[in-house]
Amino acid sequence: MTSRKSPGMNRRQALFSIGTAAAATGLATTGRAAELHGFPHETAMSADHLPVPAHRGGSFRILTDETDRATLKAAFDRLIPADDQGPSASEAGCLEFLDDQLSRPYGEGAALYLDGPMNREREAAIMGAAQVFATPRDRYAAGLPALEAYAQATDGAAFAALSPDRIDEILTGLEAGEIDLGDDVDGQAFFELMLQNAREGYLADPLYGGNRDMAGWKMIGFPGARYDFRPYIDKRGEELNLTPVSLIPND
Amino acid sequence: MASIKKIGAGVLGVAVIAAAGAGVWAYQTLNTSRSAVADDTLTLAEFTSEDQDAIARGEYVMRAGDCVACHTRGAGAFAGGYEIATPFGTLVSSNITPDVETGIGAMTERDFFNAVRHGQGSEGMLYPAMPYTAYAKLTDQDMHDLWDYMSTVEPVSNPIDENGGMRFPYNQRLAMAGWNMLFFDNAGFDGDPEAERGRYLVDGAGHCSACHSPRNELGAEMASAYLEGGVVDGWYAPDLTQNPHVGLGGSTAEEIADYLRTGSDGTSVAAGPMAEAVEHSLQYLTQEDALAVGSYLTSLDASDVAPVAPLSLETAEMQRAADDYEVNCSACHGLAGEGITGMVPAFAGNTAMLSNPTGMIHAMLKGARAPHTGVLQTAAGMPSFAWKMSDAQVAEILTYVRNNWGNGAAAVDPAAVAQMREDLGAREKIGTPTN
Repeated sequence: MTSRKSPGMNRRQALFSIGTAAAATGLATTGRAAELHGFPHETAMSADHLPVPAHRGGSFRILTDETDRATLKAAFDRLIPADDQGPSASEAGCLEFLDDQLSRPYGEGAALYLDGPMNREREAAIMGAAQVFATPRDRYAAGLPALEAYAQATDGAAFAALSPDRIDEILTGLEAGEIDLGDDVDGQAFFELMLQNAREGYLADPLYGGNRDMAGWKMIGFPGARYDFRPYIDKRGEELNLTPVSLIPND
Repeated sequence: MASIKKIGAGVLGVAVIAAAGAGVWAYQTLNTSRSAVADDTLTLAEFTSEDQDAIARGEYVMRAGDCVACHTRGAGAFAGGYEIATPFGTLVSSNITPDVETGIGAMTERDFFNAVRHGQGSEGMLYPAMPYTAYAKLTDQDMHDLWDYMSTVEPVSNPIDENGGMRFPYNQRLAMAGWNMLFFDNAGFDGDPEAERGRYLVDGAGHCSACHSPRNELGAEMASAYLEGGVVDGWYAPDLTQNPHVGLGGSTAEEIADYLRTGSDGTSVAAGPMAEAVEHSLQYLTQEDALAVGSYLTSLDASDVAPVAPLSLETAEMQRAADDYEVNCSACHGLAGEGITGMVPAFAGNTAMLSNPTGMIHAMLKGARAPHTGVLQTAAGMPSFAWKMSDAQVAEILTYVRNNWGNGAAAVDPAAVAQMREDLGAREKIGTPTN
């Protein structure tokens, strides 16, 4: 049953249609048409996949105590001192980097398991290494005053006022586990935390507040967030002199 | 609410003129007598074609006309519901399934012809977002076949208030009669659709000029600039004339056919609304038809757009852009702007990107995706750079690619990037501690 029998239809038009030509060809130099459904046409990244830059404005949020900051700066700048290779840790923004991180989930120990069951006395034996039960934020809040108190007790001076050699001596003692910072602070673990954070601040992407002017990357020759290294892959052993690139470039 | 088919957007203001121009003029615009060839007794709901050849041909007409582009959007095949933002309010595409209550099941074949070819629907005049302005050229046979195909479509109950979101007076369908009198050529195809197959496809079902011709302030295509390029919905539909600088001057009919059927001619790759057109419509064309379109397009006179002398790349800005290009773009688009054949557009020798940069800005800010076709199945994605580049950086890098590798084009204005960022709701560049 069709409805197309109509008196006015021109014979030529009746013979002609888009579809007839379709049936006639079959020439297909190419494959069958196909559509894919269910994949996203949008390519913009969702917000939770984007990097979160450091707070702007330069004021400290967590490391608000000036003595604490001075102590930390003194320690950081012995871990990475300024020399002809590059700026010191604090000059590269490591304090700002750390302050920002401590204000975020890292500072809250979001990635750490800090709940029970646990037997604090035996955890180290069970786990085979010293265990820390405090968040990084709390560890700095306890560790920096303890370090200052240690300097006052042994040297009668502020930690930040000590000579570089004396600071090195204390840091070396902490690293070796030979200096006791009191019941609340594991000196050796605190040293490791500071060393780790100083390195991170010096080498993380500048968008996180440290590695100012990409000084850390320039020092080690890291070319940064480049997408593709094929143009250089054959240039083994050559000085490439690539300018490092931040994930969020500012120029 | 993206909408390619913002077509009739600027349109409606004319409304009022309707009343004025009675007489012969109105008669010609509204005359549907040539569609009296269609039956006026049987409704679509009552009719189910069993003519498999006609149904297959009709499906091909449907593909060529890209009906699904607007009428299939999440509510089921042909069930409508696609929201089209216009400056006059929101239009919603209609349900064209054979459902009696909410679709076109109560239409006879004559009603169907009147709607598709003359813009006169069952609820009154259609808005020219529906390209009846082009479908008017469809032959009786193609219309008959399309009717047979539509009779096989599954009825879907999906009530649509097509113009409920339009503001007064644009919600008055009669207003379209006025627009039609000014801009609608109600006549059929003015040639031999067999001998001029390419032109028939381009001007009829393909409705290419809906996007590729610029429009006047009332939303009507400017015949004087036929297929010379137009901006649609934040994308630029390039010049399809033989202009060698910004058009298809260097392309063969075979390359154009490849582009239509696969999404790429080896240099450029469809994106945005054209990617959809390739995916839902053009990849279904037979090679013969695609070649016919290519032959017709290569027969067009060149537009008179003059070449632009390349800007110097020796400036500090362009040196910086060269670094940015290497870091962000070269992995896919190539250090020599060569792209990846059939997957990622080349910049070298890609004339389509040398005129209006709207589409390129859009792709930078929102990303883009190549069409998925039976031949080219990667559907490679261009990521959005909105989060890591400022307006100035986007403008700079586009100016760089538009003036490198033998290209020459006007510098891209950062203000245009800022405007597009706002229009698209693209995010701002992430602020860093040092800026």
